[in-house]
Amino acid sequence: MQQAEVLAKLQEVFDGIFLEKVAATPELSAADVDEWDSLMQISLVIAVEQKFRVRFRVGEVEAARNLGEFADLIAKRMKP
Amino acid sequence: MPDRPINDAELKSLALSGDATFWGHLVARSRQATSFSELFFLSTLRKKAKLYAPGSVQPRLRLALIGGYNLYPLHELVEHLLAIRGIECERFLGAYDNFVSEILDGSSSLYAFRPDLAFILPNASHCRFSGSLLDAVEHQREAAVCAAEHLLNLAQTFTARSGAAAILANLALPGDVDLGSFRSRTLGTDWSFRKAVNLELGLRAPAEVQICDVEFLSARRGISAAADARAWYESKQLGSPDFLVDIAQELSHLIASRKQSPKKVLAIDLDHTLWGGVIAEDGIEGIELGDSSPRGEAFKAFQRYLLGLSQRGVLLAVCSKNDHARAIEVFEKHPEMVVRLEHFAAFKANWDPKSDNLQRIAEELRLGLESFVFADDNPAEIEIVRQFQPLVTGVLLGPDPAEFIVRIQAGRHFEPRTVTEEDLERTAQYRQERRRAELAASVTDMPAYLASLEMRGTIKEFDSLDVPRIGQLIARSNQFNLTTTRRSETEIKALLGRPDYRCFTMRLEDRFGDSGLISVVIARIDGGVFVLDTWLMSCRVLKRQVEDEIMNEIFRLAEVAGCTTVRGIYLPTTKNGIVAEVYEEFGFARTEDSATRREFELEVRKYQVRSTKIDVARRAYAAG
Repeated sequence: MQQAEVLAKLQEVFDGIFLEKVAATPELSAADVDEWDSLMQISLVIAVEQKFRVRFRVGEVEAARNLGEFADLIAKRMKP
Repeated sequence: MPDRPINDAELKSLALSGDATFWGHLVARSRQATSFSELFFLSTLRKKAKLYAPGSVQPRLRLALIGGYNLYPLHELVEHLLAIRGIECERFLGAYDNFVSEILDGSSSLYAFRPDLAFILPNASHCRFSGSLLDAVEHQREAAVCAAEHLLNLAQTFTARSGAAAILANLALPGDVDLGSFRSRTLGTDWSFRKAVNLELGLRAPAEVQICDVEFLSARRGISAAADARAWYESKQLGSPDFLVDIAQELSHLIASRKQSPKKVLAIDLDHTLWGGVIAEDGIEGIELGDSSPRGEAFKAFQRYLLGLSQRGVLLAVCSKNDHARAIEVFEKHPEMVVRLEHFAAFKANWDPKSDNLQRIAEELRLGLESFVFADDNPAEIEIVRQFQPLVTGVLLGPDPAEFIVRIQAGRHFEPRTVTEEDLERTAQYRQERRRAELAASVTDMPAYLASLEMRGTIKEFDSLDVPRIGQLIARSNQFNLTTTRRSETEIKALLGRPDYRCFTMRLEDRFGDSGLISVVIARIDGGVFVLDTWLMSCRVLKRQVEDEIMNEIFRLAEVAGCTTVRGIYLPTTKNGIVAEVYEEFGFARTEDSATRREFELEVRKYQVRSTKIDVARRAYAAG
């Protein structure tokens, strides 16, 4: 899956969990969104894992600096 | 209740358009949700919908969640599941793994929050046997008892200091395959040690500490599916996301059922429900029931389940479109029937609509329809009852008798908090009531009837042994209940030693049997006024002069306490209309009258003691 496709699917996840409208762009990071605190991060990762049917390894989500890198990680973990 | 589950997109558009049907769908979907992302989505949707339709301001439950794990996002799920049950929360989240000091330090922010209820979730992996696997089992067992007592002491310290209730979680078991078959040959392994601690927790917990059975929940989902090592390393979670949903569903059920009475009656159909086939067509030899076929076995197992319900105090009633004589014949003659006529408190097999029959059963048993569950295999009957008796909870049994038990259990309507002796006797009591009614029909005047009952009553001040039954009556009585003030067992116990309160109960028995503890009065002495905070009575002893004896005792105690006036309070609800006039019947004068509250007063010296046919033994407040 390409980054753009992953971002489009991430947009659906965002629409489900954020109260405000948040656009899923590659440059976006948690600091840009008021609701996106360390607690929301936990729920977001769980929602992403269930939506994409992937499983991240311990510590790797933290290493992603923005949504683009996170999308790449999702794509990487989707590969068989 | 919506009949068709709707998809996420439909639900979202309902939420955002402010459509009122959204809430029914939200409740149904949330109650069934088993996955984290679904429940989290529903929770967010609820918050969004509330921006469009702000709800009424209700009293909020002050709920503290503390423990040895990160309590986010668990709290989010709990809050949502309580909200869809009509309970809004004000919440306190303890710091991660700080619960012991939060409880022990009387000046902690936990107590400053003034909680009504705390959920205490200890960390399971901290609970280990510190000795050797080869230590004597007695020694290991003692250590397990100590570990359980330690947790229970913490919970009790909390309840004593805060006056709030506590729900204590027990420990999830580890899924490690290490140690192999040696695992269960000692109590020293984490597996068997935690099992032993959990057993002790359950057996030793006092009434005011309720146990949330995390061990059971993780076994039910599967230990491997409930565990999540990464979630622990990254954010100190108790288990996998979906397991958090299990915990949240259980906890919100426990919290909601604290103040909502459980159902009392299960009304069931006959054909395709108690047996396979239709008695009027297939005849007694043709119906499927018993060990000769798999379907017959399933129906018989369902009957055995119903018998178990009846034995722990749920009233069974037949509500069937059927020929009365043919239906009765099965109960009397079929050798494989497990439930017999004597297990039913009411029996309606006729051709009238089931909604009418349910009404009649409610009148016969003197119970409100809101305490009824109605189970039927036919969706059309469930739908008709839903429309015409909306207070009744319907359970669709479906086409497969092997699933009946699970479908009834899924609603969790019949879970007792404690099983009291009265529960075990209840069906017998209703049968006695039928015999009393037959006697009443044969005796021509009321005084002669009452005298022939040979009633004996016992009036007694609150006794700690009676607290579970008092708590149950306070939680369940809706009709003869003047103020419907619900109190937890902790709150009831707190009344025991109060010099400014007079609290008593009455028991009643007669020649047909023992009705048990049937009335509760809680009065507060306010200067010279004896204020009746709570007066409730089981409806099955209505018109038996119990009210008169209770009122006699109220005025006796008021006089002994030096009060000049007794003040009665009536807070109207949709269910307690039968007691609206009760104070005036005793000669009280109305002193306050609004839509939500009425007050009545009568001077002690003006009360005329009522004489009754009940022989009363008094043991309240040193009456001798």
